[in-house]
Amino acid sequence: MTAVMARDARPVREAENRLEKFNTDRERLLSEVERRVVARRVAEGKAGGDASLEYVLNDVAYCEIRRLEASKSDGVERWRDLSRRLLGMSEDDKREELRSLVRHYGKDVVGNFDPRVYKFATGIGPSLLGFLFSPTSNMKEGMNTLRQLDARIHADGETEIARTCAERGTLIVTPTHSSNMDSPAIGLGLTRAGLPPTTYGAGKNLFSNPFISFFMRNLGAYRVDRRLKFELYKDVLKEYSTVLLEHGYHSLFFPGGTRCRSNIVEKNLKLGLLGTSVTAYKNSVREGAPNKRLYILPVTINYRLVLEAETLIDDYLAEVGKSRYIITDDEFSRVGRILEFFRKILAHEGSVVVRFGRPLDPFGNDITDDGESIDRAGRIVDPASFVKGADGEVTDDDQRDAEYTRALGRRLAAAYPKLTVFHSTHLVARAVWDAVCQNAGTRDIYRLLRAPTGHLEVSVGTVLSGIDRLRARLLENPGFGAEHPLHTSQSAADKLETGIHGLSSYHTRPILARTNEMITALDLKLLYYYQNRTAHVPPEVS
Amino acid sequence: MSKRADAVGIVGAGTFGTALGSVLARAGRRVILWSRDVSVVEAIQGTRRSPRLPAAQLAESLEATADPKRLASEARFLVMAVSSKDVRDRARELGEVLDGSHIVVHAIGALPAPANKYGTHLVNERVSEVLLEGIPTQKVGVLAGPALPQDLATSSYSSMVVASRFDEVVAEGRRLLSAPPALRVYTSKDLIGVELASALSGAYTVALGLADGLDTPVGARAVLITRAIAEASRLGQAAGAEARTFSGLAGLGNLLVRTQGDRSADYLLGRRLAEGIVTADTGRTEGARAALAAVELAASLRVRMPVLQGIAAVLTGKLEPREAAQQIGDTVAFEE
Repeated sequence: MTAVMARDARPVREAENRLEKFNTDRERLLSEVERRVVARRVAEGKAGGDASLEYVLNDVAYCEIRRLEASKSDGVERWRDLSRRLLGMSEDDKREELRSLVRHYGKDVVGNFDPRVYKFATGIGPSLLGFLFSPTSNMKEGMNTLRQLDARIHADGETEIARTCAERGTLIVTPTHSSNMDSPAIGLGLTRAGLPPTTYGAGKNLFSNPFISFFMRNLGAYRVDRRLKFELYKDVLKEYSTVLLEHGYHSLFFPGGTRCRSNIVEKNLKLGLLGTSVTAYKNSVREGAPNKRLYILPVTINYRLVLEAETLIDDYLAEVGKSRYIITDDEFSRVGRILEFFRKILAHEGSVVVRFGRPLDPFGNDITDDGESIDRAGRIVDPASFVKGADGEVTDDDQRDAEYTRALGRRLAAAYPKLTVFHSTHLVARAVWDAVCQNAGTRDIYRLLRAPTGHLEVSVGTVLSGIDRLRARLLENPGFGAEHPLHTSQSAADKLETGIHGLSSYHTRPILARTNEMITALDLKLLYYYQNRTAHVPPEVS
Repeated sequence: MSKRADAVGIVGAGTFGTALGSVLARAGRRVILWSRDVSVVEAIQGTRRSPRLPAAQLAESLEATADPKRLASEARFLVMAVSSKDVRDRARELGEVLDGSHIVVHAIGALPAPANKYGTHLVNERVSEVLLEGIPTQKVGVLAGPALPQDLATSSYSSMVVASRFDEVVAEGRRLLSAPPALRVYTSKDLIGVELASALSGAYTVALGLADGLDTPVGARAVLITRAIAEASRLGQAAGAEARTFSGLAGLGNLLVRTQGDRSADYLLGRRLAEGIVTADTGRTEGARAALAAVELAASLRVRMPVLQGIAAVLTGKLEPREAAQQIGDTVAFEE
């Protein structure tokens, strides 16, 4: 892999223009979503049973009544009324109701411009925080701020080929997901790498803070309400994403689905809207535009410290596998905490590293430097052929497309570890963790949490040699990832010092404490969380 | 459906490929049989008989060709019927003419020779994984089961199972390869299971041949079969397959048909080992190769497989046949 530094990146004018025309495109996009979803549902409804419009509408009413009653919100009567009227409706009435619901949810996804939010946000000017959340709006005024921020976000990797792909087709940026800070971080990372801004789906809960909400929408974010479980809403969401891709809007999906609770580099990807990449490409092929290519860009976002680490690891440990899907009361909901994060964390040079991998096509194929798909034997292959039948006709097969998306997901999951960048915090956490595990005779976190405090003390010498060995193993195995590119010449002692400083400065209590010759693990859960970033590096065989 | 959509391409004109082509062509299916051996192609086109399967009279709807481009352009659905030793090279060769729309189902009941992919580290792969490295299409599957070439050629009642992750591959496999009553095709989604079951049945066929060569009593023979299926199921589950696949057509079905009479090379190898006619043999049959590859797979997945380990020990000359049989018997008795 050739790492191309992004410092002298050239601007991508064409790509930037795409998002600028979003507002004028919005109504057209919505109409397209409405037309497609209604047409499909009406056609499928003719089969009757679960596909009938009555069932579809009833499903919406039932889910909405349950949701609103559970949250004791207003508006439940509108859905009860629909439920009552359903039996007396003609097919035309049902079609109209369907159309109006699709439009309603479509508008909810796209979001509305709120002048009060606008007034509030513009009133404080292009502040540092404002710029962080909206790196591509107001470029002129933001340039000075950007220069100051320049050193804090470090972007590298396969940026040159990603730029080629952004010019030739449409990019789907697929980063690892650790924090709600990921959206602004990747926004900045893209700018730093000379890549265009993207639209992306964000949980509706993130829009509850009006300030953040404003900037998210300004970035082209659309709202995903994970409380709406009915199929019609998922239809609208998927179709909106598909239509955006078909219209050439660079998009961003977090294939992990939700923020990674454990901090282990994601392996089992939920994929979610990623499947719309195959659908969008298939539609383009069907419309006679097989060269409207889509490129999936694997990215890792690597934080020195993670804003919400405490909440995330608690959630993970409390209920492994049964995490609360939507966390609304974490560090991200407190603006003061975010400001503190910026002051303490982003003050460090290169405290966030955004590393870009080599793009793939929607079927998980590698591509050449020019953006042509190639098979595993390295031969150029026509991506359109993957959605065609025996006579060259485009065929619809949801199961096939889902299988392609799973193959793509496996390729992404395989790409993430080697794109992982380790900060001193990770290396130190791992070295201390290994030493603690050695003391206690187990690597099981639940047993370690009950271990006697004596086991939590390790000598500085042990940790230093652990750091050295870990760094040597990373050099030997590029597939595990790499240490921070700006700090490769640091000595183990410097790594230890900066690592301990990080691990003891931001979170509510220090994770590690050092006396002269000893290091004590004060917060085992967070130590586990930070060392988990190295979990794909197997324990040493003694 | 177009002519191309209804055609079956067969890669490899060995006994199985020719027998399958023969039974399908007799049922009216258009078959394109690809062989690299021009003399075989000429013999089939000229005499309607193949030197590889002289007993079978081949119907007119079977056409032989040495041109891979013709194979790829006239059939979207292909069956790969080559030796496990050749699968890597044939896949690469075929990859030159295929695209993402083709469907490739292999009928190779073996585990391919490990590839030296990462320096000196040998990696165990299933045949479908080897295929994916050589061809552009992802729509791959496996065809397996107790259908011996001689049964297919004489239109005896046979059944096979086609498995893939792709519903389309399974549905097309069933549609295009069914030729009742001579051949019925069942379906499965368990690609890993059917591939492993088919390969392991070859390995256990060697074990059964060896047991029969040692005049093992019928009770102990029955125990050997059930323990073999049980340990194969455990390995399968560890590798991501469904346990029940191993007692289906590709597993138990294959094992039973290959161990009746002297119709399988694996079985004969087992007997010859027991009789001391041949000693340590590591590469002569698909079953022998599968046994050695599966032992490595079992070690990497930490699954104990006494029967398989016993037969591998004989094949590599580490144990005499009687010692291995004793060891297998002791372990099985202890575990059960």
